[in-house]
Amino acid sequence: MAGSALKRLMAEYKQLTLNPPEGIVAGPLDEENFFEWEALICGPEGTPFEGGVFRTQLIFPSDYPLSPPKMRFLCEIFHPNIYPDGRVCISILHAPGDDPLGYESSAERWSPVQSVEKILLSVVSMLAEPNDESGANVDASKMWREDREEFNRVAKDCVRKSLGL
Amino acid sequence: MESDEEGIYDVESDASINYNSSDDGIYSEGENTAHGEANDFMDEPTSYKCLTSDQIFNYMMKVVDEVNAILQLPPHITCILLNHFKWDKEKLMERYYEGDQDKIFEEAQTINPFRLKGKVVSSNTNNITSFSMQSTKRPLTTQEVCDICYLPSQHMNGLQCGHFFCIDCWNEYLRIKIIDEGQGQKIACPANDCNILTDYETILSLLRGSDIKTKYHQRLTDGFVMSHHLMKWCPSPGCSVVVKVTTAGTRNVTCICGHAFCFHCLQPIHEPVRCPLLKKWLRKCNDDSETAHWISANTKECPKCRATIEKNGGCNHMICQNKSCKFDFCWICLSAWSPHGSSWYNCNRYDANDSVAARTAQEKSRAALNRYLFYCDRYMNHRQSLELEHKLYSKIKFKMEEMQQHNMSWIEVQFLKKAVDILCKCRNTLKYTYVFAFYLRSNNQATIFEANQKDLEMATERLSEYLERDVTTDELSNIKQKVQDKAKYCEGRCEALLRHVYEGYDMDLWEYLDE
Repeated sequence: MAGSALKRLMAEYKQLTLNPPEGIVAGPLDEENFFEWEALICGPEGTPFEGGVFRTQLIFPSDYPLSPPKMRFLCEIFHPNIYPDGRVCISILHAPGDDPLGYESSAERWSPVQSVEKILLSVVSMLAEPNDESGANVDASKMWREDREEFNRVAKDCVRKSLGL
Repeated sequence: MESDEEGIYDVESDASINYNSSDDGIYSEGENTAHGEANDFMDEPTSYKCLTSDQIFNYMMKVVDEVNAILQLPPHITCILLNHFKWDKEKLMERYYEGDQDKIFEEAQTINPFRLKGKVVSSNTNNITSFSMQSTKRPLTTQEVCDICYLPSQHMNGLQCGHFFCIDCWNEYLRIKIIDEGQGQKIACPANDCNILTDYETILSLLRGSDIKTKYHQRLTDGFVMSHHLMKWCPSPGCSVVVKVTTAGTRNVTCICGHAFCFHCLQPIHEPVRCPLLKKWLRKCNDDSETAHWISANTKECPKCRATIEKNGGCNHMICQNKSCKFDFCWICLSAWSPHGSSWYNCNRYDANDSVAARTAQEKSRAALNRYLFYCDRYMNHRQSLELEHKLYSKIKFKMEEMQQHNMSWIEVQFLKKAVDILCKCRNTLKYTYVFAFYLRSNNQATIFEANQKDLEMATERLSEYLERDVTTDELSNIKQKVQDKAKYCEGRCEALLRHVYEGYDMDLWEYLDE
């Protein structure tokens, strides 16, 4: 079981290094353990997160790709769909059936034909367009909706921190 | 690894999964099926059957065949359609011939086999089967990369939706669905955004290993029984038999394991009371409402801190024991003790309005509690007796052996066992008459019911007493006569009571209290 997961992860890693999508670098931290990856995501242009480089962690289950990986931000980030502890709340990471906040149709959920690349691209578009209906960080959702200027300011802070400034 | 052709699941060769349903023998009348005894209870004596898990699958296939005789679809597609309509054949037929057929296929999450790749399919069933099986395979010309494991494979398989995956990934996927998630009828294609359901033929052709096939088989029949409105699992622990009734009105059924239960609510048989009242009663017995009644009937609240207080001495000068309260008050008028001074009789002036209302509320509460306890006591009593009565069976068995040594044949001594059967049945009915009586508003019919109940109770006690004591001391020649007389009378009383209650249901004679 873990064997097929390993092969698939290696194949994905190869594909991501040969053909990296813009603004994303991803791979296993240690070639000995292919089930723990780190990914660097650049804040998309034209958004409050522009210019930031965010460090994230992906943990794969042994039955990957039948079950989705777990993903969390390792740096501080203030975003409606990211829990304060860094876990990402995005439909593609949820197996069909469990919907913690009750807003997703099963069509947007995890399926074995999704991939790391698709997850990371979804996260980039999530950074650009927060979904304030299923807020994982209620404070961020509220601020995003009601006080966009303040939200942009806090986001800029995160960008600066992500660059170590 | 099997070659592609061998990968097609061979229906005939696997003995453990026999769905050659043209073999009607397994489902025929009388074979391995239990029927309710004709005189068991008053309604629908032979209107149900007990099926074991193999028989359920055969029955499922029989239903599919029956529908297919008309619809002329591949059986696995019919299975998905029927499942969508909760195995209601008539509803499926009606919708299929009335409305938009494509819409039905879409709703049921499958693909209309007549529309596949624009091919016209002949209506011959054999052709359909072979056609649909081929459509799940791809020609072996090129190697393709599986979208799940990213590896090239020669053994790509998929449903009619056109998403293909390698056989290893299919197996892992199905294993998770079947074993971890417990799914059977509703496993969708693994592709993103595709809700087309897998059919049993494809799954069985893909699965490797007999353990998982057996498991899948189980999940299929589980799903079938659960969605079928005329079938229920026997609720007895460890029993895997399914009871199938012919009409939805059937209530009292007895599984081949011996467990007798109500088909509607799955509780043990509870004549004469109906399921909703029984449910209400059981909830009442289980919840705290009677505790609340006791509290309101026997305690008062401290007027200051609202702590619940039970009076345990004669003195009416109460001092609240709540450490942060310590309020001094009068038990009678519930106001501060200080103005009572030396003559607490002063508090009789409060009696006027408020306390009268409070007192009647308390009295009401007390009366309701007493009434409940009266019925509950009798209900519990008969329940306990019924449990003890089961011990009689072993005693009676001993007696029956003794009688057989005195010139009586086996068949001649069966009357004893039958008498205990009748006794248990009457006890059970008696037990539930108290539930019925608890909710009954008194009127003329209720008085008749109570008279019937009294007669039945007396007859039952007499039979019980005789079977328990005298049967061991009496002359052997007398026993049969007496036991049969008493049992017959008892049964007659029980039938009279039930008939009266059912007449009452039919003619709407019963009025209920709102409890």
